[in-house]
Amino acid sequence: MASVTYDRVSKIFEETTAVDELSLDIGDGEFLVLVGPSGCGKSTALRMLAGLEDISEGEIRIGDRVVNNVAPAERDVAMVFQSYALYPHMSVYDNLAFGLRNQKVPKEEIDRRVRQAAEILDLGQLIKRKPKQLSGGQRQRVALGRAIVREPAAFLMDEPLSNLDAKLRVQTRAEILKLQQRLGTTTVYVTHDQVEAMTMGDRIAVMNAGVLQQIGTPEELYTNPRNVFVAGFIGSPAMNLVPVEAATDGERDVLRQDGFAVEVPEGMISRLRERAPSTLMAGFRPEHLHLSNGEPANQQARIPAVVDVVEYLGDEQLVHLHAGEVNLVAKLDIDEGRVKPEENVHLALPLEKLHLFDRETEESVGVPTPA
Amino acid sequence: MTSAAPRVEFPHEPGTVPQPHRGAAWRGLLIPLGFLAPALLLLGIWMVYPTIATMWRSLFSDRGDAFVGIENYKRLFTDDLIFESIKNNALWVLIIPAAVTAVGLVFAVLVERVRWSVAFKIAVFMPLAVSLFAVGVIWRIMYQQDPERGAINAAFAGARGFVAEEGVLSRAQPSTEMLQGSPAQGFTFRRAVAPGAVAPLGLTAIRAPEIPEEAKDAVLPGPLENGITGVVWRDFSPRGGTTGKVDPGELGIPGATVELRDERGKKLDSTRTAEDGTFAFAEVPEGATAVAVGQGTFAAPFKGVNWLGDKLITPAIMFSYIWVTAGFAMVIIGAGLAAIPRDVLEAARTDGGTEWQIFRRVTVPLLAPVLTVVFVTQIIGVLKIFDLVLAIAPGSSVDDASTLAYVMWQRSFSGQNLFGLGAAISTFLLLLFIPFLIVNIRRFRADTK
Repeated sequence: MASVTYDRVSKIFEETTAVDELSLDIGDGEFLVLVGPSGCGKSTALRMLAGLEDISEGEIRIGDRVVNNVAPAERDVAMVFQSYALYPHMSVYDNLAFGLRNQKVPKEEIDRRVRQAAEILDLGQLIKRKPKQLSGGQRQRVALGRAIVREPAAFLMDEPLSNLDAKLRVQTRAEILKLQQRLGTTTVYVTHDQVEAMTMGDRIAVMNAGVLQQIGTPEELYTNPRNVFVAGFIGSPAMNLVPVEAATDGERDVLRQDGFAVEVPEGMISRLRERAPSTLMAGFRPEHLHLSNGEPANQQARIPAVVDVVEYLGDEQLVHLHAGEVNLVAKLDIDEGRVKPEENVHLALPLEKLHLFDRETEESVGVPTPA
Repeated sequence: MTSAAPRVEFPHEPGTVPQPHRGAAWRGLLIPLGFLAPALLLLGIWMVYPTIATMWRSLFSDRGDAFVGIENYKRLFTDDLIFESIKNNALWVLIIPAAVTAVGLVFAVLVERVRWSVAFKIAVFMPLAVSLFAVGVIWRIMYQQDPERGAINAAFAGARGFVAEEGVLSRAQPSTEMLQGSPAQGFTFRRAVAPGAVAPLGLTAIRAPEIPEEAKDAVLPGPLENGITGVVWRDFSPRGGTTGKVDPGELGIPGATVELRDERGKKLDSTRTAEDGTFAFAEVPEGATAVAVGQGTFAAPFKGVNWLGDKLITPAIMFSYIWVTAGFAMVIIGAGLAAIPRDVLEAARTDGGTEWQIFRRVTVPLLAPVLTVVFVTQIIGVLKIFDLVLAIAPGSSVDDASTLAYVMWQRSFSGQNLFGLGAAISTFLLLLFIPFLIVNIRRFRADTK
């Protein structure tokens, strides 16, 4: 077991930069999720760690050892592939034993470790089968088994759940987590699915276009997204992002959009102006919106809107609305009352849940706190 | 979204499918038959009829005028040349399919890692585009024994030149009894030598044209205090002169090897003579008792390997066959390699496998079906090998290279006109093919399932 360090690592493919000066410190035993849209460089980053891609610039260390020029076989990492990449001509047993045989581990030891892994993953009955005779979920478990028998310094997982159906994915997600907690092996897990990232990672590193956007615990990313990209990527349904102008309308402070204006507590705009331009991007999560019928309550922003579509989810309703030209989504508790299409409503947003970003740089200018 | 409405074709609703009318069944058979007819016709004329006719013909006498039953088959198994051919065919089947598959595999794996892989592939594949007979003619010329004419022996001669140089003279004799020995052992000076000695090493019976052009008049050098000096010269002058003495007008022999030897004749040191034939050892190693003209002086020139002789003719033809078919094997195996999922190989790499372990335990097993195709195809190709034998083997060794297909041709068509025997050989060859054809057809069926 070991820590993993990316030190200003870049990967340049001819003209395109797939990974740009990525720096990460992954602690011993940590479960780190690399997440981002497809093509963001997360898989390339993982493959560089595995030794399957050369490192163009920078340094990767496993423990204290720089592994830039170390062959994949010598890096003491085990990788789980999206396609599982099982050896089709070998039985489950031989698939599991392959890595150990390469390392000339004694036969009895191989047998012990393979049987143990098979037991952990409930593969006992399947040990003599070929991959072709297994279901997707079983293959996935063999792929995991192949990683754990090696007892490596780190697990590298490249979208290992993508080929499973939705139900099995949720189930396997929990199994991988349990397994990792039991073994305590440092794990780098790549996915494009932010739900997977949120549920699995000790910490999450969000990447976009080859650049690390933010790294932190799921909670940090959720409550304090550093920029518009992270704000929009993390959370489901996605955060509402609305371009607004900070203005003073007579005596009231407002965040103004074409069709509507949101009143904010006095003094907030002037405080904002000290650190940001007046062209802003306002972000607020659907789940933080509520219906408001009465007068503006303290520390709440009010948004008048018209309901377009309602998706009923049982205990919740996902409401698509528009306010002026802007489309919004709100996730409302069913107890707040059912809403109907074409209904005029007022949405209330607690101000501490409002995120403001500089529209130019897309960086966060913070959550406006009342005086 | 485009504004144009998408074109939708609705399937026939049940019951509205046009019902087949009478005669449709017959027509249903007629159309496939129509498509098959050209192939059936051609195969019938050029494959089925000749096969049956040949088998029938093998039961008749050479002139075809008398039914002889299995007489031709009895001749077949008592004919020495045919026996030799069966032996050669067996050698071909044992060696070539395995060799071609192995070479193709190595090429296919290596070519993936070279920068100019396309150029390399074209170069390896090109021979397949040349007709086998032309290939035979090319190799026949390349296999010529004389290094001046055959490219292969020329290459060998060139490579040899770096290792062992050709001597200046082909033969010579000592001019006096002071020298003893033969060109094969070198000529030893009979007088024991010590520092300060001067050794005149006279040779005679040298063919004049062999004396190098740069040779100058020989001189007897003065003694060296701690060394040994001397001269190797042609101790012969048309105007007479004294044997054993360096007379004016006698030429030194440049480039001759001179050795210092111990009592047992072991070489301790050696040098080359200068243009005037003189040589000098500045120091005398301990134990040196004799000076000699080394056998290197008379080293024979490389005459070339007799590739087309009776011993090497079959291996030589086999090599040229591998040269032709390696490209085919490489391309087929290369396609098989490309079909192996990259993930699996990457998994093996992260799974701690060295290149060799991955190759042996993942790549080759996954390639097994493709390797089998190449192997079986080669067995069939090799059983019928004919053109290369005819084109490469000269008359003197063709019997040693003979194969069944060749001997069939030779007995029937080369003027011997033993058509009954030839037909029997053909039938025998057909029998040998059948097991491999069955294997191939079986696998073909399994693939389509």
